[in-house]
Amino acid sequence: MDIKQLEEKCLFLRKKVLEMCLKAETGHVTSSFSSIEILATLYYQGHIKNDPTDEKMKDRDRLILSKAQASPLIYTIMADLGYYDMAELDKFAQKDGIFGVHLQDTVPGIETTAGALGHGLGVASGVALNAKMNRELYFTYCLLGDGELYEGSIWESMMFASHNNLNNLVGIIDRNFLCTTDFTENLIELEPLDKKIKAFGWNCHIIDGHNLEELNLAFQRLRNRPSRKPTMIICETVKGKGLESMSYQPLCHGVPPKGDAIEIAKKEIGL
Amino acid sequence: MKTQRDSFWDKIYELAQKDRDIIVISADMGAPALDKFRTNLPSQFINTGIAEQNAILVASGLAKEGKKVFVYAIASFLTLNCIEKIRVQSGMMNIPINIVGVGAGFSYPDSGPTHHLSEDIAIMRAIPNITTISVSDEFMAEKIAIDYKNYNNTYYIRLERQPDGVVFNSSDEVDLEKGIHLLSKGKKTLIVSNGNLLFKCRDIIKENKFDLGLCDLYRFPINLESFKEVVSNYEKIICVEESFLPGGIGSAVLEALSDLELSIPCKRIGADTKNGYCYSYGGREEIHKYYGFDTKALTKILSEA
Repeated sequence: MDIKQLEEKCLFLRKKVLEMCLKAETGHVTSSFSSIEILATLYYQGHIKNDPTDEKMKDRDRLILSKAQASPLIYTIMADLGYYDMAELDKFAQKDGIFGVHLQDTVPGIETTAGALGHGLGVASGVALNAKMNRELYFTYCLLGDGELYEGSIWESMMFASHNNLNNLVGIIDRNFLCTTDFTENLIELEPLDKKIKAFGWNCHIIDGHNLEELNLAFQRLRNRPSRKPTMIICETVKGKGLESMSYQPLCHGVPPKGDAIEIAKKEIGL
Repeated sequence: MKTQRDSFWDKIYELAQKDRDIIVISADMGAPALDKFRTNLPSQFINTGIAEQNAILVASGLAKEGKKVFVYAIASFLTLNCIEKIRVQSGMMNIPINIVGVGAGFSYPDSGPTHHLSEDIAIMRAIPNITTISVSDEFMAEKIAIDYKNYNNTYYIRLERQPDGVVFNSSDEVDLEKGIHLLSKGKKTLIVSNGNLLFKCRDIIKENKFDLGLCDLYRFPINLESFKEVVSNYEKIICVEESFLPGGIGSAVLEALSDLELSIPCKRIGADTKNGYCYSYGGREEIHKYYGFDTKALTKILSEA
């Protein structure tokens, strides 16, 4: 897929996510929007090998979505890839639907149930370690939210993964600088984040998490295992990217636009 | 007499030599058999350091991919420090992790209440897809290891630190599904217990020639069919446990009686939460004294049963 097509795909995902969350009157729109270019690059640029007709394919690459609040996004991508019908999206968080606000491992294409934060990196480490033990070549990706980094278990897992040289594990941080009530640096300072991660023995790069070329390049390098250590890619993003009306402000977490904000949001992304 | 720990890990070590999918994750806990693991099967032994939460998460990742994983640490930390991880990984996804905790009840008496384990049965049995086995003796520990391929949900294996006695003569006698074993028949009253207090009750009954039934209830959730078979003929039940009373063994027995619509009066002897945590030192008996079920007090209770 060329960059222009991928840009179009990202816009399509934004529209779909907003649509489904508006219909359900719930769902994490802004958390999904900040991750769109990241997941679109992984799934549509061939970085994640998978097969909708063989969901449990042995050598599929695994994505552990630790940042489970981006579920409307991953559910949309899975539908688009053919894991289930697009019509399922209309039943998001509805009584006859197959998925709700957080992540459920029973949904085709989804690896783990999640919603409680601080789990994903440890589970991903176990999955990656399994590949090493079995001499299997699949890659394990783990998408984390930056607010999730306050969970101590993440840092336990960080030490573990580097000590065990899990260079088949790629951590991705959606660094949108916002939690629910405030900006991360106002809450409890996370910076200098890259230095902290490097101090835990990881390779770490900071890129623009909405720049499709940068993302593609960052993931391309890794399949050759250029280092013994796992790699963390800090993707600097905007929470709510594409919706100016919901960006750069606290208290826009976990809620779709309401009232007059609905039309403004729709107009912004051309819905 | 072997410790439950050594019996369990010796057998797992033996099995792991033939099954490379057996993986042991230790949160900085040792045992002679684990030293052998480290030396002879290093690719099947992982030490996470004192990071129990990560140990559970890594175990879940490995188990999700098909490994037979045994996570090992002091039981109070492995359960209570990790409960939300266990709830999601084992409870919600039903990923079969084997959680092996040492230090059931007051197994670490002089370490103080951080190491006492009085809440785990209540908490673990409240979570779906977890089978708790409160291990009775070295033979049961061995049996759990032998049966490792049959577990299709998480097993929480609760080990005593020191051997108190034996209930069985060999691992062949242990029925993990049944989960209940009658040690003495008695007449009208049945004492239900497990772990260290089971042996204490057995000694008191024997020494005083009390005509009491005594059973070892070692599996939770309770197998109602086996439970009914054992308890139906008694007129009274007394549960004796080291756990805090809410949610513990006595609670589980009362629930089972209620579910079976059996009207048998049941009294609970255990750690009352109104007494809080115990800071008595000088051995397990001192802690039992604090909560009111030391040998003297328990003898009186059983004499009036």
